[in-house]
Amino acid sequence: MSSDPAGVWGGRRVGEVTAAHTERVTAQCYARDGAPPLGALVRVGAPGVYAVVREVRHEAVDPGRPLAPRGAGLETEDEIYAANPQLETMLTTRFAAVIVGYRGAGGRMRRGLPPLPPPLHAFVFLCDGGETAEFAGELHWLRLLLAERTPGGDAALAGFLRRAAAAMASEPGSGSGDGAGFLRRAGRILAAELAGEPQRLQAALRELAAQGAAL
Amino acid sequence: MTSQNGSGYRYQSDRDGYANGAGYTDGGGYGAGGGGRRLGMVVGGSLSQGLEVRLESDGGASVEDVSVGSFVTIHGRRRRYFAVVTDLALRAAEDSLRHFPPAGPDGFAAEVMSGTLAYGQLSVMPGMTAPIDGGGVGIGFGNGTGAASASASASGMRAETARTIPEHFAPVFAASQSDIDAVFRAPGAASAAFMLGTPQGMEGASIPLDLGSLAGRSVGIFGASGSGKTFLARMLLAGLVRQGEAVSLVFDMQNEYGWQGQDNDRRGLVKGLKQLFPSRVVTLTLDEESSRRRGVATDGVVRIGYDEIEPADIEVVRELLSLSEVAAAAAYNLERHYGRGQWLREFVGLSGAAVGELAGEIGVNLAALQTLHRRLAAWQRFGFLADAGAGGGRGRGSAGGIIEHLQRGSNVVLEFGKYGHNTAAYVLVSNLLSRRIHETWVRDKELSDGGQGAEPRPLVIFIEEAHKFLTPAIAGQTIFGAIARELRKYNVTLMIVDQRPSGIDAEVMSQLGTRLCCALHDDRDIGAALVGARDAGQLRGVLARLDSRQQALVFGHAVPMPVVVRPRDYDASFYAAMAGGPADGAGSAAATAGGLSESEAERIQREIDELFPP
Repeated sequence: MSSDPAGVWGGRRVGEVTAAHTERVTAQCYARDGAPPLGALVRVGAPGVYAVVREVRHEAVDPGRPLAPRGAGLETEDEIYAANPQLETMLTTRFAAVIVGYRGAGGRMRRGLPPLPPPLHAFVFLCDGGETAEFAGELHWLRLLLAERTPGGDAALAGFLRRAAAAMASEPGSGSGDGAGFLRRAGRILAAELAGEPQRLQAALRELAAQGAAL
Repeated sequence: MTSQNGSGYRYQSDRDGYANGAGYTDGGGYGAGGGGRRLGMVVGGSLSQGLEVRLESDGGASVEDVSVGSFVTIHGRRRRYFAVVTDLALRAAEDSLRHFPPAGPDGFAAEVMSGTLAYGQLSVMPGMTAPIDGGGVGIGFGNGTGAASASASASGMRAETARTIPEHFAPVFAASQSDIDAVFRAPGAASAAFMLGTPQGMEGASIPLDLGSLAGRSVGIFGASGSGKTFLARMLLAGLVRQGEAVSLVFDMQNEYGWQGQDNDRRGLVKGLKQLFPSRVVTLTLDEESSRRRGVATDGVVRIGYDEIEPADIEVVRELLSLSEVAAAAAYNLERHYGRGQWLREFVGLSGAAVGELAGEIGVNLAALQTLHRRLAAWQRFGFLADAGAGGGRGRGSAGGIIEHLQRGSNVVLEFGKYGHNTAAYVLVSNLLSRRIHETWVRDKELSDGGQGAEPRPLVIFIEEAHKFLTPAIAGQTIFGAIARELRKYNVTLMIVDQRPSGIDAEVMSQLGTRLCCALHDDRDIGAALVGARDAGQLRGVLARLDSRQQALVFGHAVPMPVVVRPRDYDASFYAAMAGGPADGAGSAAATAGGLSESEAERIQREIDELFPP
């Protein structure tokens, strides 16, 4: 995986859609180590559907052929791949992303679900910091991620907010305010959305507080 | 950021907007800017129980910034409401927050949750309302813009008692001076308004008081000792004297109102009514020596004739003298025996043995008669009691003299000197004199009603320690009970000052038109001070939390809605305002520092009075 010290990715193409429905897309990466991280904002197709990565899977291309261990007697993991070049074609990386917005008429950024999911084989791009910050300018769509109600969903949420806050901190002129202010705003929305689940809310806020401290 | 919507109210939408756009904190904002900062919105409630207002803390409004008793305006769709804050509460959207309060040392979770899941709530009581103009700009109360305020006053729209409530989610703002003016200023009386003081939580604003309607009904001023009720009373009396519509008769127990009074806070002396209004106030005394010792010149000495005291007067002071009912009733036997006007002088002159004989003669229990004799004989030490002829009749210092002063339009302050410490003497004299004066007023009023003679001047009788003689047991027997009950039928009203309202007959309390309550510490007194008041339940919390000094809850006839005020300072600026022309503010410009300029007319009148004593 390429290094990304600021946590801000460019608009790099990472894969293609292999399955899509109204609320979610699944994509397969071009490279086994090319998956976007949990919580990353991706843009699918053109003018584009926005989705937040909530699950990344490394697995066999053919689910009918489960993997077996191959490293007995070898010193390093790299030696496994060197000794089994066929693995490059047998293995793949897939990720699932929750749809959270789209580019509407005239290319205007909209939050919420698009009228139609993106087509199969649509290209998936990893949004850069500017686009992430722009999308995070309004946060009421966070409930789409919260509806996942899984540890992965909450981690994706935290990941998204961390990346957005970092993007805002590095681009204070983006008009969306500073990173700490953004986290406070996000916290207020989480508080309203998770009113009935105090422990989940507290866990989410602890995560945000840690991110705020790291900014 | 500030934007104007169709209904004409100011909607502030972000954090910076609250700080910058708040005309309320801005010194120049009152007259022109008007609109206060946004506090929150109405989320529930009722007309009878008051409205619930959710504070919007993300806008910077903290529950710590709003105090009980302060004013807010609610901008409904068609009407604007003026309301007073009666309670504050902390609410949570989720009860579980009590069990899982936000954790973490950095306070991030607490910061985020407060204002969202956990928020402040105001209970407000809508008092007055005025319609918002169809044009969407001119409105009943002062608006966010100067133009709107001008339009409101130009149209002369008068706020009325709220009989409706605003819709859900109506925005709530801190009140501004223009709101207060619209609500408290009587129409057409703008220039003559008497400024009572500063409303709670609004430094720089002031509450006008309609003295005409204040004097129109009886007034009660309550407060624990040291709470500032004497200053408040003196200020109101000065206002009444200056306004001149009604005359006042002050039974001055502690010699606080005539020439000068004590300022316990500043350990100094303040000017009394006579110093403020030399030509309009007559000071009389019951105790010449005390006046001389205090270096105070008085305009006369009051004497009470033995012949003026009636058995009914003994009933009034019965409890104060620890007399049994039998002993007090014996006075009636004595009156029958010796004759009207004679009985007291004869009775107190008797020896012990003669009292014994008399008991048998008039058929009264000996022990009771002896007790009565002991008590009444002690009155011979009262220097103000004189034999018939010396002080009775229409001599200058008698009840008749006081009546003449009052009829001529002079305000009278009767200093009690050392007798102020004797409650029985205070009650006896004030009740007796008031009875005589009341009789005159009743006669004159009836004559005037019959087309013979002029209507008697409105008279305000001022008494202290009212709980000593307006207790349920004797309120019916004193003239004060009667005056309170008959309202202003005969143009006589009471101003009573007391620290124990719980001791005052509830019927008398309920007849008080306007009440000004300083801090009271006893629960019963707080309850009693609110007897018969509309919204007593909601005002209770406000009254219970007044500062222990220099703050008063005013409600009733003279104010359109209850208001908590910090009375203005009784100092040089007040003297100047009193010395000025009819307009309150006009005097201050002409006033010299600490000085009181006597007008030419007043000076001439004073000299005439001195040369030709009335």
